[in-house]
Parts: sequence; structure tokens; C-alpha cells
Amino acid sequence: MRIALAALAALALTASPAMAQQNIIAPAPEIPAGITVESVMVPGASLAGNLEGNATAREAIVVLPPSYGKEPERRYPVVYYLHGFAIDGRNFYNFMRIPEAVNNNAGRGAEFIVVVPDSLTRLGGSMYSSSVTTGDFQAFIASDLVAYIDSHYRTIAMREGRGLAGHSMGGYGTWSIAMRHPGVFAAIWAQSACCVSPRRETVESATTLAAIPLADGIKADFGTRAALASMVAWSPNPQNAPYFADFPIKDGALDETVLAKWANNSPLAMVASHVTALKGYAAIGADVGDKDFLLADDTAIHEELTRFGIAHDWAVYDGDHVNRIGRRFDEVVLPFMARHLDKGQ
Amino acid sequence: MTRSLAALGAVCVSLLAFAAPAQAQEKARLNWVTFHSKAMEGNLEGNPADRGAYVVTPPGYDENPDKRYPVVYFLHGFFATPQMYQDMMKFEEAVDGAAAAGNDVILVMPDGFSKYRGGFYSNSVTTGNYEGFVGEDLVAWIDANYRTIAKPASRGLAGHSMGGYGTWRIAMKYPGTFSSIYAMSSCCLTPQPPSAEAMKQVEAMSADELANAGFAQLAPIATLSVWSPDPTNPPNYWYTGLKEDGTVDPLVEARFAANAPAAMLGQYVPALKSLEAIQIDIGDKDFLMQGNLAFKAELDRFGIAYGWEVYEGDHGNRIKDRIRSHVLPFFAIHLDRE
Repeated sequence: MRIALAALAALALTASPAMAQQNIIAPAPEIPAGITVESVMVPGASLAGNLEGNATAREAIVVLPPSYGKEPERRYPVVYYLHGFAIDGRNFYNFMRIPEAVNNNAGRGAEFIVVVPDSLTRLGGSMYSSSVTTGDFQAFIASDLVAYIDSHYRTIAMREGRGLAGHSMGGYGTWSIAMRHPGVFAAIWAQSACCVSPRRETVESATTLAAIPLADGIKADFGTRAALASMVAWSPNPQNAPYFADFPIKDGALDETVLAKWANNSPLAMVASHVTALKGYAAIGADVGDKDFLLADDTAIHEELTRFGIAHDWAVYDGDHVNRIGRRFDEVVLPFMARHLDKGQ
Repeated sequence: MTRSLAALGAVCVSLLAFAAPAQAQEKARLNWVTFHSKAMEGNLEGNPADRGAYVVTPPGYDENPDKRYPVVYFLHGFFATPQMYQDMMKFEEAVDGAAAAGNDVILVMPDGFSKYRGGFYSNSVTTGNYEGFVGEDLVAWIDANYRTIAKPASRGLAGHSMGGYGTWRIAMKYPGTFSSIYAMSSCCLTPQPPSAEAMKQVEAMSADELANAGFAQLAPIATLSVWSPDPTNPPNYWYTGLKEDGTVDPLVEARFAANAPAAMLGQYVPALKSLEAIQIDIGDKDFLMQGNLAFKAELDRFGIAYGWEVYEGDHGNRIKDRIRSHVLPFFAIHLDRE
């Protein structure tokens, strides 16, 4: 809770001026001359029938590089960029100043299409997991979105031309989708990934959580919503309204069955049984700020990858959970993708 | 549709049999084949990447060179070699029985054995990538070397005990490969990491003691190499997580959770819902009843349709009969024929 609140404070401060209710708002970025930005609504067959009533058609912001309009035969690599918790795709795009990053990288000789999909849900974020309650956001990203972009833009429509990256919850999604949907993306980068270790609760925290009426849960603070959103993503239960999920407490004691389901969604726990998938990537990268509350967690997955001989770039930089991520997307993540994705020329 | 196609297939078989009565291959044939599994390369226990499998072809397979058949993949249990299963189950007789009922089928049982007597059809750098071996390499090799109907609608997956576990796991992780599954007396459905006490005993065991351990003692050890591997920790390359203060690193428990079908199911609902049919059975005296009931509750929670039968029996005493009376008839109904 403490750390989650710190994250909110950090992100809210940086992303100010305004915070509408509990989701973060950032002003629209400048769009450099030559960069084209489009907004498309992607139909999400994988999200159909979700029990939270989350929208199944999702906005994706598509940032096209300078030569896209001038070279009608050219195909481009695509970097899919996943946003964090308590923010939607558009405001993440705003905050990260993606058009500037795409323009800067074009200036360095690497042109990409960058796609920022939206996965905001009733409780603040999908966790990019497969849940009958929130929707199958794993398949939405790895199948529905990729198929839509490949059929509507001049992409290099194969694994070698696709990268996946994300920040915080999006870094978590990057790990999880990379392990469970191998073969779609060639290179991945997780920035300040959250939720790497298994999420636990105490009897006290779980009791408190389970007592929150849905109407209050939807409006709760960052930390409370993060706990609730994790629950609906990882221990969904269509028969347990109104959250349609199981709290990790039963008869006054922790429910280890529920906690096992949460552990099953921990990237740290998943690595050992997904080595084949991870070794199939052309390149893997991860980074975290030295003042980020997730430093220990992200270091743990770096060490687990090392233990299994999975090659990866790893950096701890001067920064916190938020203050350098936009710049690092521009100066580290996209150049990494430039080195490892098929550039089509 | 499936049934009428099956009937049509049966008619074709009898016509062809009349055409070539002299050379009729009257009985199913048991073949032991070996092939190279890329998925199994480089495992640290030295389990062979050249894997064996029994392949049973139905009566008339040779006489009907244009005919293609559905395939049932059967996964054997822990502590046993495929040969021990074959000796117990007599698969060629089961395939003969199915053929006599008009249900020609190819039956394949791959070798899931390992240094510690079972790879649990999982993916571990220590034991090897058995799930890839079965879910990808084996299916591709069988399709390339036998006259199969090489489509998911004509592939079934079944298994007993550790093989029932493998059936669930592979059905979740390789959607679109098999269209119906039958899990018999499945083990390991809920997470059961070894206790700190058990970890201490494991760490104290010599190579000889490990090699001679019995079923009950070896099962948790084998699951450790399968679900908590550690390539930096020779000679056994597993991670017990035992710390100096006598507690176990919670990562080990989490790794076991990440391999337990009851914990995994919520993430794989679309894969299971995409199956045409699921059947589960277990003996009323089976020690694995609790785990199967817990898993059944998970299936119910998500509205996944399945058949469920509790029969009079224990973990092993009815398996041979039920392969004949239930498993192959189930696939006769659900697998598409030509």
C-alpha cells in the first residue's frame, strides 16, 4: 500500500496538471513535423463477454514515422507499447511524448510504427492477463491488436518485425505475454515492471479488501484499486458477484488456493517453466530506476533470467518509478528495438 | 456428423477388406519407434532427446494405403516406463476392440520417463521440455510418418495419473492441437510443494539413494527437478530453496503454483472452452480424489463443460478395462473420421 501510494504520488506529480478522479491525465504532446498520429478503434473479439462490462473495442494510438507517407511501398517494424495502471492508452501516449520519440529515432536512422493500445478497465487496469472477468487481454494484445495493425498498416507482418515494451503494469504485461504467447514478438523490453513477485496479502489486509463494496472499490485509491484489479485478473470467479472474483480470504484465514492462482501469474514464478519461450526471443531488456520501489522486485527477475542463462540487457539507472521513463523509451528502448527488429530495408 | 462419417469410414473399410482378403492384416500392430525431439535437446539430467513411442496401427492399416485415421495420444504415469504401461494395458488389444466396433484409430504412447522416473509432461531445463516434445515434436512426427488425419478435430489426448496431469497441461498450453481430451485419475492438479522437512531429506540423499527411492519418496523429488529446476546447482540441478534458518524460499512454492492446473486454469479458460469434449474419471478409492474434486470445482466455476465419472476402483485397478470400455469409445464419438 505504502509503495503503491508513493507510485501514485510520483506519477500524479509528474503527470500533472490534472488528475481526473483516480486516473492520470497528461496534456497532449507536441507532434513534430512529419510525424502522423492516428487513433483507431480495434475490435477485441478476445474481450467479448467480459463480466466487468469493459469495452471490447479499444482505442489504439498509432504513431507513424516521417517516411511513412512518402514511401508507399515501404514496410515498417512495429513496437507495441503497454501502459501502466490507473492511466489509459491515450494519456500514457501523451505523457510519454511518443511522437517526439519516434521522430528522434527517425533522426538516428531507425523508423518505427509505435502502437499504444488502451487497456483501462473498471478497476483501473487489465494486468494484461486472461480473465473471464476483465477480458482476455493477453489474446487481445497478442492476437486481435497485432492482426488489426498488420491488416491496416504497412507493417513487417511477422515476428521479426514486432517488438513489445511496457511500463509498470505494462512491463508486467510484457513479461507475461512474452512467456505465454511466444512467437508473436521478436524483442521485448520491460520498464520498471510491476507485480513481478507473487502478490500476497495478510489476514488483515485481505479482510479489509474483502469488505469494500464495489461502488467504493471503483473509486478507491491507487493501492486499493491495484489490489482489486489484480484479484479480478488473477482469481476471477463468474459466480462471485459483484467483483466476479475470489478474495484471498476464507473463514478468517488466508485462502491459499487464491494465492496460488496469484502466484501462477507472477513472472518470477513463471520463468522456470517458460525458459524455452524466453530463449526464443532475439533480444530481451529490462530496466528500473535506482530509487524505484520496484528495484528489488525487478532485480529478482533479472537474477532469475541470469540463473537460467537467458541473455538480456539490464540497467539500473538514476531515477524513480516515473521520472525518466519517457526519455529512456526514446533513448534506450527504441534504439534497442532498432538493433534487434527487422527494419525491412 | 462425426458419427455418420464414422459409419461411412466403417463401410469403406469393409469394402476394401473384401477387395483384398488374402493379405488382410487382421490384428492391430504394435510398433516401437524412435525419433529426435528438438524440444528435449540439452536437458541437464541427460534424458535422451531421441525419444521412443509406441504406435499402434489398427487392423487393415497396410491393406488400405489411402485411408487416413484419427489418432489418440495416451500419456503414461509416473515411475513407469512406456513398456510397463504396454505390458499392463495391452494397447494393441484395445485398438483391436475399437476396430471391431467400427472405430479404427491409431494410438500413440510417447516415452515420458526420465532420470527420476517421470518428466510430468512439463518444461524444465533440468528434465527437458516434455510438453514441447509431446505437444509439438511428437504430433508433427506422427503426422509425417503415419497416415493420420492431420487435423485437431481428429486428434485426441488422454492420460493416466501423471499422464492425466499432462493431458490437462498440454490441452491448456497447446490449444488448437487436440479437439478432445480424457483425463484418468489425474495427479498433481493442486500445488503441493515438498515441505521443508522433505527438502532437508532430499538434500541429504546420495545418488544411490535417489536411484533406489520408491514411488512415494521419489514423486516429490521428481517434481522438484521438473518444477523447480536450477541449472546452476549440480549435480541434480534443482532448487530446494532451503535456507539456513530451516525455511524454504517462497519462490519454490510459487513455482509449484505456476505448474498446478487448478491454479493455471483461470488463465487458460479460452483454451479449454475451445475443446469439443472433455472427460474425467477417477476411482472412488483413489487417493487423488481430493485434487480431482478441487479441479472439478474450478471447471464448474468457469462454466467449462465436461463429463465426470466416479467408478468403483482405486488408482490403478480399472485403467486397463476403462481404456477399452470408456476412453476409446469416447474418442470414437468425438474424433472426426474421413
